[in-house]
Amino acid sequence: MELALGIILGCCALGAGMAMIAGIGPGIGEGNAVASACEAIARQPESKGSVTTTMLMGCAIAETTGLYALVIAILLIFVAPNILVDILVETMQAL
Amino acid sequence: MLSLKIIFLYKGLVDLKKVDSTVLKETAYVALVTLILSVLMQSVFLVLGKWNYTVLLGNVLGAVAAVCNFFFMGLTVQSALGLEAKEAKSRMKLSQMLRTLIMFIIAVIGHVAPVFSLLTVVIPYVFPRIAVALRAISIKKKG
Repeated sequence: MELALGIILGCCALGAGMAMIAGIGPGIGEGNAVASACEAIARQPESKGSVTTTMLMGCAIAETTGLYALVIAILLIFVAPNILVDILVETMQAL
Repeated sequence: MLSLKIIFLYKGLVDLKKVDSTVLKETAYVALVTLILSVLMQSVFLVLGKWNYTVLLGNVLGAVAAVCNFFFMGLTVQSALGLEAKEAKSRMKLSQMLRTLIMFIIAVIGHVAPVFSLLTVVIPYVFPRIAVALRAISIKKKG
């Protein structure tokens, strides 16, 4: 029983950690996009307004991947262990 | 201590007079769509018969966090656009990391505090993405 509980909790923590690997991507992506936007504005300063709007939308989309990963990690840490332990206890009682 | 550092980091940035009108306009749009989607979510919980005050409070917390996240992202983009490409890149990375950390802390508060429902704290995090997708669709139709 203790071993099964340990495996469940360990796997949930491992899964949450692995999910957060996806959190690295948006930072790099947003950084590259903003760096390119800086260069574009330096070339054409009159296009600053349209570039800012496009940047905001682009960054919001890029960031969603990280937020999805965060949501999955939160659910794996706080919600999944309770559900899985309940299932384990019910299975043990049935046996 | 870390949260205090984050607050002080953004305190210098938040001066509404200096905020670009594009950032304010887009944040207002995202806030409006988030409000509409929050009302929709509340009605879904009401229909399912699972509504209580924790659902409402959790939704408020999550929605405010999501809109603030978008606003701070806009502020960072605005300030980064006036910098050198390399510096802008590192500032965006730092900002993204800090904002993700704040979102995680808010979710932890939503889990720990009994007055919030964790699910309704977490769901509004993706509402700004839906707002942006709707915006893209409307622009495509106009164009």
